[in-house]
Amino acid sequence: MTWYDSLLQQLADGLVLGSFYALVALGYTMVFGVIKLLNFAHGDLYMTGAFAGFGGLSLVSGVLGAGWLGIFVAMLLAMLAVGCLGVVIERIAYHPMLAAPRLSILITALAVSLVLQNAALSLTGGQYTAFRTDLGFGGLSLGNLFISYNQIVLVATAAVLMIALELFVSKTLYGRAMRAVAIDKDMCRMLGINVSAVIAITFFIGSGLAAAAGTMAGAYYGSIWYFMGFLIGLKAFTAAVIGGIGSITGAMLGGLILGLLESFGTHIPFIGSEWKDVFTFAILILVLVFKPTGLLGKSEVERM
Amino acid sequence: MNLRTILKLIASTAALHLAASGPALAQDGPITIGVQAPTTGSEATYGKDILNAIGLAADEINAKGGLLGGRQITLISGDTACDPQQSVNAASRLASQEVVGVVGGYCSGATQPTLKIYGDANIPFVIVAANSTQLIPANPGNAFMINSTGADQAKTAVDFFAGKGIDKLAIVNQGDAYSQDLANLTRDAWKAAGHEVSAFEYVNKGEQDFSALVNKIRGSGAQAVFWTAYYADGGLLIRQLRQRGFQGTIAVGDGSNSPKLFDIAGQAAEGVYAFSNPTADFLPAAKQFISDYQAKFDTAPGPYAPLAYDGMQLMAWAIDKAGSTDADAIIKALGSADGKEWLAGPISFTPQHTLARSNFVVLEGQGGKWTRYQP
Repeated sequence: MTWYDSLLQQLADGLVLGSFYALVALGYTMVFGVIKLLNFAHGDLYMTGAFAGFGGLSLVSGVLGAGWLGIFVAMLLAMLAVGCLGVVIERIAYHPMLAAPRLSILITALAVSLVLQNAALSLTGGQYTAFRTDLGFGGLSLGNLFISYNQIVLVATAAVLMIALELFVSKTLYGRAMRAVAIDKDMCRMLGINVSAVIAITFFIGSGLAAAAGTMAGAYYGSIWYFMGFLIGLKAFTAAVIGGIGSITGAMLGGLILGLLESFGTHIPFIGSEWKDVFTFAILILVLVFKPTGLLGKSEVERM
Repeated sequence: MNLRTILKLIASTAALHLAASGPALAQDGPITIGVQAPTTGSEATYGKDILNAIGLAADEINAKGGLLGGRQITLISGDTACDPQQSVNAASRLASQEVVGVVGGYCSGATQPTLKIYGDANIPFVIVAANSTQLIPANPGNAFMINSTGADQAKTAVDFFAGKGIDKLAIVNQGDAYSQDLANLTRDAWKAAGHEVSAFEYVNKGEQDFSALVNKIRGSGAQAVFWTAYYADGGLLIRQLRQRGFQGTIAVGDGSNSPKLFDIAGQAAEGVYAFSNPTADFLPAAKQFISDYQAKFDTAPGPYAPLAYDGMQLMAWAIDKAGSTDADAIIKALGSADGKEWLAGPISFTPQHTLARSNFVVLEGQGGKWTRYQP
């Protein structure tokens, strides 16, 4: 494998990984934007989304098959279900706490994370569940470079979702309300914006995107389990911080950058794949120390 | 009556009770045996399998009239979740319940710290599955390993890869005691045999994306990949290796020879080789065992079921031979195991309390299940 092939291969792999990180990071950053909460349960919504997608696929696979169409419909079902779950979690766990000190709601988020994780643990007995699909292992082989069709579809789906979100936030009335709530909740209330509804929509979209990533990850990697959201939750958080937490474009950018950094980072001579996570979290620390607002973040954002 | 008299009275009554009830319990009560296995977590499949097989053995012994002239066996299970911290808790709990012996031990990393606990409490321990060589120096003398060690497996692996005409081998482990031990032993044996280790890598447990690792393996020109850790992540790695067009030989260690590997890796597991302790399907003596197990638990026995069954039977045999529940007598009896034929083959021990022979076989994935590989 020449250095050129290897470079392109890592670029392709970094994009796939980055798409997952970006989709999950979006939820972090959106929720942080509107209620200034680091929603630590977000990684577990990704896991719940994977299981919801698995359930959705077994529902529809009889009619639609377990190919891309079936997975796509399952993904939409999972997004809907987990989106609603996100809204319910916000209503039950976070809404009553909005006026409480920031630390209390952060701890509540950790509790929600544990509830989701342990619910999944007891329902699955902690076992890996095989996510069976009819997706083959085919792909484009250009010399030593190999990109599977699954990877292409995955990155394209993630891109469509992110573009749709960007359009929603920048062009629609609800998107504008969301941005307004992020800036000043009290002022929004005075101007007649239904702040609670905007927060609910934010949770719905953020959780839905996590579910989309979860379903795609399940279909792509082929197995799901109750703990799968933990590491990606931390990494998506890192991605959100790199991009500037609170910034939607920043989360997408941060996710892709992190995916690429991880992919390339393991190829630095003398640094093996066992250093992958060290690399990721070292970057988190560096960003927090030298540019705490991230690449696209605003400096007035108050940090936990 | 002053306070001192009251205290004296209480003390003497308590002593009387102890004197009356103590020996009675020890002579007629049930014999409690601890079962240490990961019944939750990533290795729960194997853990439940071990628990089931030990339960089956205990039931059979009880049906035949129990031990030491009619005493029944009661099992207490301690869940290690394949996690060193949780296993220490489980072992302390078993030790505090004064079990006569412990049977089990699956993940080496989770088994290692429990050795000291059972050693301090002087409880005989039959290790049925865990087989890292790191367990040997950590053994205070009360533990017996009835599974062949990692060194035996490394030798089987080196012979297998060399037999396939392979020179450049990539070895991947997960950094835990079991998989690291097997990886190191294989690396050293492979190099000693005059071959090249083209990549020697770790992956973090719970990681799902191995693309960077796969690129590295492909870039290293490896002709074969040896995964030394467990099936859940192994299935993912095999899938991603094949997904990215790796054409070489793939083999997995005995932590990955579960039927579940086919669920996770799917089509990619076809033609994958596994090193295995003799599983029930390949044991001529195990026909009755398979049907009993199937009837009782409504599922086929997993790869460690015969060893777990043997472990319980061996413990029972040793208790009967010792003629009492005295720990030292049982340990002495275990050490004198004389090569008698059990379900998974003869058991006798080296001075280090490891199995005196290698019991590894090579399997090949065909049609979604493991078959015995004939070169």
